[in-house]
Amino acid sequence: MEVIFLFIVIILSVASFIGVFSRSAILTKLVNALSALGSLTIAYAGIVGLKESVELNITLLHLKSDSIINAFSTLTLKVDPLSGFFMIILGILGFCTSVYGIAYLDMYKGDKRLYAFNYPLFLLFMFLVLVSWNLLWFVVFWELMTLFSQFLVAFERNEKTLIATLKYFCMTKAAADFMLIAIVLVLITISGGGDYDILSSQLVNYFRSHPLEMYLVSAGFMIGLGVKAALVPFHVWLPDAYVEAPSNVSSLLSGAMEKMPVYMMFRFFLSFTPLTPNIGLLIALFGTLTLFFGTMYALKQTDSKRLLAYHSVGQIGYVVFALGAGIYLLSKGYTTFGALALMASLFHALNHAFFKGLLFLTAGSILYRTGSRDLDHLGGLARFMPITAFAALIGSLSIAGMPPFNGFVSKWMIYVSTLPTPTLVSLFGALALFISAVTTASFVKYFTSIFVRPPAKEITVKEVPVSMWASQLILAVLCVIFGVYPALPLEAISKAVDSVGVTTPSITVFPGLIVSDGIGNIAPLALLVFSGALTAVLLAIFPYKISLPVWTTGTRRSLAMRLPASSYYASFEEEFEDVYSWGEWCVCTTKRLWDATKAVLSNFEEVSFDLDKMMTGAWLMLLILLTILGGVLL
Amino acid sequence: MNAVYAALNLIFIVLFAPLLDGIERKVKARLQSRQGPPLIQTWLDLLKLFRRPNVRPRESVRWLFEPAPAIALVSVLAASLFIPSLLPGSLDTWGDIIAFIYLSTLSAVAIALGAFSTGSPYAQIGSHREVSIIMAEEFSLAFIVAALAASSGGLSFSRLFPLQLKVSTITGALAFAVMAYVAGARIPFDVAEAEPEIVEGPFIEFSGKGLGMLKLSIYVKRLLLTTILLNFFLPQDGTVRVLVYVIGLVIISVVYASIEAHYGRFRTKDAARFLKRFAIVGILSWILGVVGW
Repeated sequence: MEVIFLFIVIILSVASFIGVFSRSAILTKLVNALSALGSLTIAYAGIVGLKESVELNITLLHLKSDSIINAFSTLTLKVDPLSGFFMIILGILGFCTSVYGIAYLDMYKGDKRLYAFNYPLFLLFMFLVLVSWNLLWFVVFWELMTLFSQFLVAFERNEKTLIATLKYFCMTKAAADFMLIAIVLVLITISGGGDYDILSSQLVNYFRSHPLEMYLVSAGFMIGLGVKAALVPFHVWLPDAYVEAPSNVSSLLSGAMEKMPVYMMFRFFLSFTPLTPNIGLLIALFGTLTLFFGTMYALKQTDSKRLLAYHSVGQIGYVVFALGAGIYLLSKGYTTFGALALMASLFHALNHAFFKGLLFLTAGSILYRTGSRDLDHLGGLARFMPITAFAALIGSLSIAGMPPFNGFVSKWMIYVSTLPTPTLVSLFGALALFISAVTTASFVKYFTSIFVRPPAKEITVKEVPVSMWASQLILAVLCVIFGVYPALPLEAISKAVDSVGVTTPSITVFPGLIVSDGIGNIAPLALLVFSGALTAVLLAIFPYKISLPVWTTGTRRSLAMRLPASSYYASFEEEFEDVYSWGEWCVCTTKRLWDATKAVLSNFEEVSFDLDKMMTGAWLMLLILLTILGGVLL
Repeated sequence: MNAVYAALNLIFIVLFAPLLDGIERKVKARLQSRQGPPLIQTWLDLLKLFRRPNVRPRESVRWLFEPAPAIALVSVLAASLFIPSLLPGSLDTWGDIIAFIYLSTLSAVAIALGAFSTGSPYAQIGSHREVSIIMAEEFSLAFIVAALAASSGGLSFSRLFPLQLKVSTITGALAFAVMAYVAGARIPFDVAEAEPEIVEGPFIEFSGKGLGMLKLSIYVKRLLLTTILLNFFLPQDGTVRVLVYVIGLVIISVVYASIEAHYGRFRTKDAARFLKRFAIVGILSWILGVVGW
């Protein structure tokens, strides 16, 4: 295992090193290829980690003092089933986005060193966030992960991307991460060490006797992580950042980086704190608000990547909601439902990585060929880009939760674990069920307005290069496989849930999923076999032989009429206007706050437009941060 | 044994659904002082459609347009396998009420995508409306499902059929009756098809066997919704069930048809508003269910 770890670190560092000199396109491709290799190794390490926990201690410094800085003297890396599970997500998605990047980056003319240097490091630090077994090191890697992702967002170096980057920087780093650091310091001081083993043994007891501290620390931790996970109302940075980043980076940001806070929430709320109903309910409420507002706003978007970005907010809401419901139900004594909700949360996190990763890649492919993200302008591309269209269709149906794709199974698990309980989470579950229909509608819009609706002006393009469509197809196939054969991911998930100390319920997973006692059951494989066979028969006996022009009310000219993307569900949106007016109110309030901060930040902003200064500045701040950290603790 | 029952149920549903529509047409005609077509008229219409060739619009996206009617029909037929209808047995491990909701949404999505792929403006308008109504429907339905699930402790049909008689389950089931009416795309909620207005919207470019399958899928969907409603109250075994079930189907159809005969079409916005407000019934029965009534 040491060899694997070392291999990952070396290959990604080498890739990043090459990136510094990558003035030519070939070298950028090499960087992507190396990152793909590194990602595959991460996935492999994750699979190994599921079977057995592997621990690795590296002594960095020999310190004699007994202060907390000792935590820095050794670096403990460990893969347990929970981090192994998230490593598989990171590895598979990272592989696909890297392979995709090989051709995709050709789209950008000019200097690509900013990408080539930061991309492998971003992957590397996400990996280190997952494997570090010490909260202090976790925070350090977390900071570095944010830092490098931030430069990737700024890749295009124009005004829009820099504003998005600044917003991202201000919200996640300046605001949330300081909170996170503070909390982490508190936690380490309480338990006397940053090791996860020490934390889980010490903190639970401490919090049992100090409930007030537990609530304060949990709230702070939740906000610190929640900004990164883009929970409503902390999601403001996300749409801009995801839209402006190169598409394969958006895919990675949404699919993998958004899962890092979820990973830490699992560790913190399940291993480090005693299960408390109030905390669980609050997290569930947070998740429900996120899924509701995120998706309702996504419905209104007319920019392809912005629509997907808002859905990332919405879908992470499902994951967090299920996590909160799990904690709540477990602490209330509904063990089966609670454990099931936790499994659903992890499963949806996995599925979200695949289908949203896939959808961002398809949006990237469209951008690559047409240079447009505007749903009003695009149209009729299914004829020119059939493979991308097919992959986008599978992604859209998966996120909409249509059987037999993977989103169906994980959403079903969320409903099954929440709806039948006589608690408040059942009402939240009902909202999730409604939002699922809104998601469906939103993706009918995404798919049809890009691929099938007649375009405003005829667009003629070619299918994207093989490395791009191949990585889309890999993700699409995974969406199908995990949908019809959920036993495979669920095995990994139950190991991961077991490892945080929750006994998983015995549910039948093959051929269909059955939760005993009539709580719920589905058989996606059987449904697929039946429907597939019958559809094939119907298509075979009723072939289409005649083709005629579309009916144009009798005139000879083509009607070529199309409704703009904003008018798709106008009457529905009008009826649910209340939702948007609450949203507007919140936006106004945040805007006032933002304006106040901006006055302070305006000096800083000037500096930030110069990217090189910004990079240097960020490094300096990190250094200062580490010094302060050391100084305080010594 | 269950597989045999499921197959028999499937055959019954396919045969009986158009007949039920024939009954509804007769009832509506009589209420509007017309003679009305014979009871098997719907069957005759379908048979005629199935004898006609399929026509594909030249501008359509082939791999979306051609399978759309088949997928729309097959997904509701798949749902009929795990819902006990004429005979009490079914492949009940294949799905629960969530699976039914998603399969019927899949059927509507297949129609919408097929319709969109033609590029016809009428189909586009119709599909927008169809999806808008689905969203609004789900808003009401979600709370009703939560109410039924919370008061009976499960989502699978073996738990829900028959319901324990409590205040919450009865209000929930009655609210479901309204949702069955709405989801069956009956007047005044047929905004997506809206024949006189946008010439059957999503269906406009479908013809022959494809159109036949689409029509059949709607009849089957209506029958299934009524079946679920009846199953909430019917005993799950005994010979009397068969008789009561068929009579119940006819009675509910007559009731639905006579409501239908007296209304004009809602605008999409009005339909959405009705469904938004109707959610309050679902929420109330959910509260009753959680309280334990």
